[in-house]
Amino acid sequence: MPPADPSGGRTAALTVSEVSVRFGGVAALDACSLSVQPGTVTGLIGPNGAGKTTLFNVISGLQAPDRGTVELFDTDVTTMKPHRRAKLGLARTFQRLEVFGSLSAAENVQVGLESTVKWWEWRQLRRAIPWRRGPAAGGAGVPDAVAPPVGGSLATATCDRLLEGVGLGGLGARQSSAMPTGLARMVELARALAIGPKLLLLDEPGSGLDDAESTALGDLLARLAAGGMAVLLVEHDMELVMRICDTVYVLDFGDIIASGTPDQIRGDPLVQAAYLGEAAPTHEAGAGASPTGVGGSAP
Amino acid sequence: MSNFLQYTVFGVMFGAGYAIAATGLVVTYTTSGVFNFAQGAVGMIAAFTYWQLVTAHHVPILVALLLILVVGASISGALVERVLMRRLHGASAERPVMVTLGLLVILTGFAAITWSPSTQHLVGNMVNGQFQLVGINIQYQEVLIIGVAVAVAVALRLLFYSTRTGVALRAVVDDPELLAMSGASPNRMSQYGWILGFVMAALAGVLLAPTQTTGLLIPAMTLLVVNGYAAAIVGRLKSIPVTFAAAIGIGLAENYVISYVLPHLPQSLQSLVPDIKLALPMLFLFIALVTVPSVRLRAVGRLTTMRAPRVTGGRESLVAGAAFFVLAIVVAVAFDNTAFKGTTILDLGGVVMCLGIVGLSLVLVTGYSGQISLCQFSFMGIGAFVMGKVASGGSLLGLLAATLVCAGVGALVALPTIRLRDLYLALATFAFADAVFYGFFNDTHIYGTGGVSLGRIVLPGLSFGGDRAEFLMVTAFFVLAALMVLAIRRSLFGRRLVALNDSPAAYATVGLNIGFTKVAVFAIAAGMAGLAGALYGTVQQTVGTSDFDIFPGIIFVLFVTVWSIRTVTGAFLAAVTYVVLSQVWFNGLGLFAGLGIILIGRAAGGILGIEALQFHLPWVKRPSVGVMEAPGALVGGPAVAGGETRAAG
Repeated sequence: MPPADPSGGRTAALTVSEVSVRFGGVAALDACSLSVQPGTVTGLIGPNGAGKTTLFNVISGLQAPDRGTVELFDTDVTTMKPHRRAKLGLARTFQRLEVFGSLSAAENVQVGLESTVKWWEWRQLRRAIPWRRGPAAGGAGVPDAVAPPVGGSLATATCDRLLEGVGLGGLGARQSSAMPTGLARMVELARALAIGPKLLLLDEPGSGLDDAESTALGDLLARLAAGGMAVLLVEHDMELVMRICDTVYVLDFGDIIASGTPDQIRGDPLVQAAYLGEAAPTHEAGAGASPTGVGGSAP
Repeated sequence: MSNFLQYTVFGVMFGAGYAIAATGLVVTYTTSGVFNFAQGAVGMIAAFTYWQLVTAHHVPILVALLLILVVGASISGALVERVLMRRLHGASAERPVMVTLGLLVILTGFAAITWSPSTQHLVGNMVNGQFQLVGINIQYQEVLIIGVAVAVAVALRLLFYSTRTGVALRAVVDDPELLAMSGASPNRMSQYGWILGFVMAALAGVLLAPTQTTGLLIPAMTLLVVNGYAAAIVGRLKSIPVTFAAAIGIGLAENYVISYVLPHLPQSLQSLVPDIKLALPMLFLFIALVTVPSVRLRAVGRLTTMRAPRVTGGRESLVAGAAFFVLAIVVAVAFDNTAFKGTTILDLGGVVMCLGIVGLSLVLVTGYSGQISLCQFSFMGIGAFVMGKVASGGSLLGLLAATLVCAGVGALVALPTIRLRDLYLALATFAFADAVFYGFFNDTHIYGTGGVSLGRIVLPGLSFGGDRAEFLMVTAFFVLAALMVLAIRRSLFGRRLVALNDSPAAYATVGLNIGFTKVAVFAIAAGMAGLAGALYGTVQQTVGTSDFDIFPGIIFVLFVTVWSIRTVTGAFLAAVTYVVLSQVWFNGLGLFAGLGIILIGRAAGGILGIEALQFHLPWVKRPSVGVMEAPGALVGGPAVAGGETRAAG
């Protein structure tokens, strides 16, 4: 079932076409296709082992697909190295924490910031140059949605601003490996935002967060999307997904089995079958079924 | 034709020996996730023990084999797993590499003390006699080696795929907790793996011992099974049939190259033939590493809450550097012309500073960026050679040339190994070090037997001919190198190195080029080691092959790791330790280094990283690491830091 085109004819931030990945005899992804539009939050849900993280790895260049193509803003990046995709405006976080554990939270963000400028520019940046906005060095600039820009701010102020924006104000000096999981995930998020992404992939950012923090995360992602960023979200917290996503794709055993608005997904019997382990009904037979199974947290 | 068949039989025989050792490596890796660098050394000890029992004490062959394989190798394997490896669970990925290297140098050190190189250790065939087949002579010993290898491969295949224990052995690395829940003991399975690995290493050593027609030599026997490493890499450290086939292929390739290629080299290169023969195993390993498709290596686990060493500030570094140099001046005045064991205290001090610079290069490449390099002594040797060839070995131009040439070579070594990490990179640099030693340094045109003479540096109006001036000059270079390393750590590049070490995946996805960073750090570190080699040449004034042997190089890496491979102080203390111990008991260096790395265990920060031993200046601010109990909150929510609640956003 192809999703309704929410782009209004705009260039898609991400287009995944017929991507397949096999590990030995196991098909982790089987001809998966999806697209993510700028200014939207797109959810990618599915049971454990469905292939969500593998798809993220394919999109970000950490895993080469056996078949299919990946396009970022109409540029074919299928064989492009991960760091080149980041230069095109792609940033991501990881399901298994990948903070720079020996560095402080602020240094984590600094590494992200530094990656968007040349090394000779960074020296100037540290002194007195206001943080550049716009597509400097391939990034889209630090988004206003994270926190308002500080007039004439230095790079360190930009770091602080990003950390404040994800709720880590005052914690920049902490070694990131000593942080609780929830906070370390926010360090990852701030680092990803530091490169000024146009497309943000988030792999279970809500795990380790309590309800209030999860709500705040949702608000932040909604603001980022409102600012024009495209967000692709893998998340098991269904309340969060259903609240903030414009479009949701459901992955099961490497297949996209459904896609549509949150309301359409709630009522999709194929999705319920995938989550509850029931025999897969046809769409006709399951029409109008209750939205249990995707209304709360996934198993 | 009969020659070809004869070479083929030899090739298959050697390949069979490599196959036994290689399958042992695969078994150990499959069951414990650890690549045993000491596999060759275990085979070497078994071969010497076999000589001791059978040749020296006339013990019957079968009894000797029982004692070596069933008693010696089995118990050793079990003990190594229980005492050394089990406690490394959860340690950083490079730690098992270092511990098995420690085991390697302990065993070679033990052999050097026990079996004098001046005695010829000749081992006879286990079964004598030969027969003719299609016109060629085949010895029963050759048939025995091939038969044993096939039997081992078949037995292992049956064990892994047809028995419950075999399934548990394969499962233990994938998920030990899940295995434990199914009733099997992960520790016991891992121990079985180590026992099997040791027994097969010993079997390969004993079977190949009679092929050493000029007698057993410690380095040659230790490195003999390195072809097994290459085969195991081709088998991607998991497939026994592929490993077996690769070992046979490598055995054949080696014999064909020796028999058909080397004799046809130009006359001017014929002097290189013996060295090329010795370097072949490492060349095969290097080729295997850079050509076999990338393998997802298993790490034993990463330490996630280690306290990172404090980043020294610029002013603090300058003050410490100046104080260090003033102390060096005091030492230079106090010990001028003081003789010690055929040299002088200041000459030894100069050597300490040179090795200190090599240690600093390790801090940069391994400590900061996490790339394990075992070939820094090779760069040192190349640097000394270049220094000797430029301007008669006594000029600043020579130092510059040595630094630049080694930086270039370092970049060339790094380029094909960009995608390698941890164990594979360690193996690649190990192979490079060995190939350079046998294929380059040993050549009579390079260092040969007489070595290379270098002069002391002379500048217009300034001579460093005296020991005191030379010592102070080398010390100045050490201080400058230390300041440079600390400045790098504080810089954008330093942060990137540490970030690369912590998470290559995250590093790439924030837009940073892993390949460029690796090549850059390798080149800088190689240049530093080259500079150290050039300076070492001016201190010693004559340098030879043995100065840059592969085993002292590994021993030095271990000493730096023992003290702390992430700090400048660790590099200096390692250099002091190495030089002092080498003067006291050179043959015992390996024992000390190996025991040190074993005792330090999983403490990734080395001795200097142990909290209880740290000395803190009261005015120096320490990084905050304390475990945070209360999570903060996102925009709009409360954030808790240090007990203080504040509004964020």
